[in-house]
Amino acid sequence: LPAGLSQWFPALEVLDVSGTGLAEMGTELLSLPCLHTLLAKNNRLGGPGSLPKGLGQAPLARSLRVLNLSGNRFAEVPPALLQLRGLRSLSLGGNRLHGIPPEIQELHSLEFLYLGGNFITAIPPELAKLPSLRYLVLCDNKIQSIPPQLAQLHSLRSLSLHNNLLTYLPREILNLVHLEELSLRGNPLVVRFVRDLTYNPPSLQELAGRTVKTRNVPYAPSDLPESLVRYLSLASNCPNPKCGGVYFDSCVRQIKFVDFCGKYRLPLMHYLCSPECSSPFSSASQSSTSQSESDSEDEASVAAHRMQKVLLG
Amino acid sequence: FRYTRNLVDNGNGKFNLMILCWGEGHGSSIHDHTDSHCFMKILQGNLKETLFEWPEKKGNGEMTKKSERVLRENQCAYINDSIGLHRVENISHTEPAVSLHLYSPPFDSCNTFDQRTGHKHKVTMTFYSQFGERTVCVSTRRDAPH
Repeated sequence: LPAGLSQWFPALEVLDVSGTGLAEMGTELLSLPCLHTLLAKNNRLGGPGSLPKGLGQAPLARSLRVLNLSGNRFAEVPPALLQLRGLRSLSLGGNRLHGIPPEIQELHSLEFLYLGGNFITAIPPELAKLPSLRYLVLCDNKIQSIPPQLAQLHSLRSLSLHNNLLTYLPREILNLVHLEELSLRGNPLVVRFVRDLTYNPPSLQELAGRTVKTRNVPYAPSDLPESLVRYLSLASNCPNPKCGGVYFDSCVRQIKFVDFCGKYRLPLMHYLCSPECSSPFSSASQSSTSQSESDSEDEASVAAHRMQKVLLG
Repeated sequence: FRYTRNLVDNGNGKFNLMILCWGEGHGSSIHDHTDSHCFMKILQGNLKETLFEWPEKKGNGEMTKKSERVLRENQCAYINDSIGLHRVENISHTEPAVSLHLYSPPFDSCNTFDQRTGHKHKVTMTFYSQFGERTVCVSTRRDAPH
């Protein structure tokens, strides 16, 4: 960037330096107090000098709303970028990212995040801590699973996951009540019933923890070592509505197919507290188990109806 | 948050002429063309067109890809139901794309197809805008491809 940029154009609000072969952006950016949109796509950014030092303290950190760095050579999200606290829209499409740093949660004003066309293999659960995120694009990556915490993205309207390596989705995805669009094509989604047969029986600690939780045994931090208090707080509820139980580490993974408005069947991963919860052929009364299964499926179907534009095809 | 269909001219009921605006990564479903002629010209950017065979009547397997190509600026393409089905997508992660579409006779519904199973589903098509004016969505039904 030319030196003296901020002296010639102190009121600059939008700067587009896309397609200029730029390899670094230096301190010239730091003294542009009004800059809200920076477009630098299709350049040679990605190395150490790509973003200037001291970005977090510059006026830019609060004023910048839109940053487009797509079509560059970033192999990781530059830490300086995570200091842009006012950022609403970020694109790093078509770079060389292998992952998303958990510090992404610091961009708490983010509404639009485009990460398509990279080499991302996993999504950190911290991504779900972005309260205003409405549009999330993760297509054309190498993602194998979606963390269930992503269901906490209450503002999410559109989720693009096409062309990845997903075999199933977490059942919690149905909790995204405002989700209007979901693209899933080009994923090796399982089409047949899959049951994880490697069920590790619960440890004594887990059995004790389950009893404490389901029988509401009262306890205070002074009663237990801190590690056990923390352990007890990590109980997950068994999604089987007839069960009401909890589990910690020992659970049965089961893929259930949820019907989306009679159009698509999506494989959703359910975590159940024991084989008795999931098996349709358990020694317990067969009718009651199958009833609970169909109940939870109905519940899931109702939730599925909310999602109006599932773009599986 | 997906591509928009913007009606430009309805040719006294004989055709629909519309402009489609595709953001980065936006793509359509696999779809047919309800017995109409369909012309497409790229006005900006690039669009990938993948042609598919019609699924077998009893078919319950993955749909068969016939061919694919990337259409560049100013290139034209044509399709009708006797040629097959297609999916159109902007595969760029950095550039939007704009295309001009001519359908004759005009149609407002078509079938979309699930690539994994060949199952089809009828959809009604809506416009994001008509003659430069934003069309307010009245139905919650799914938009079509184009």
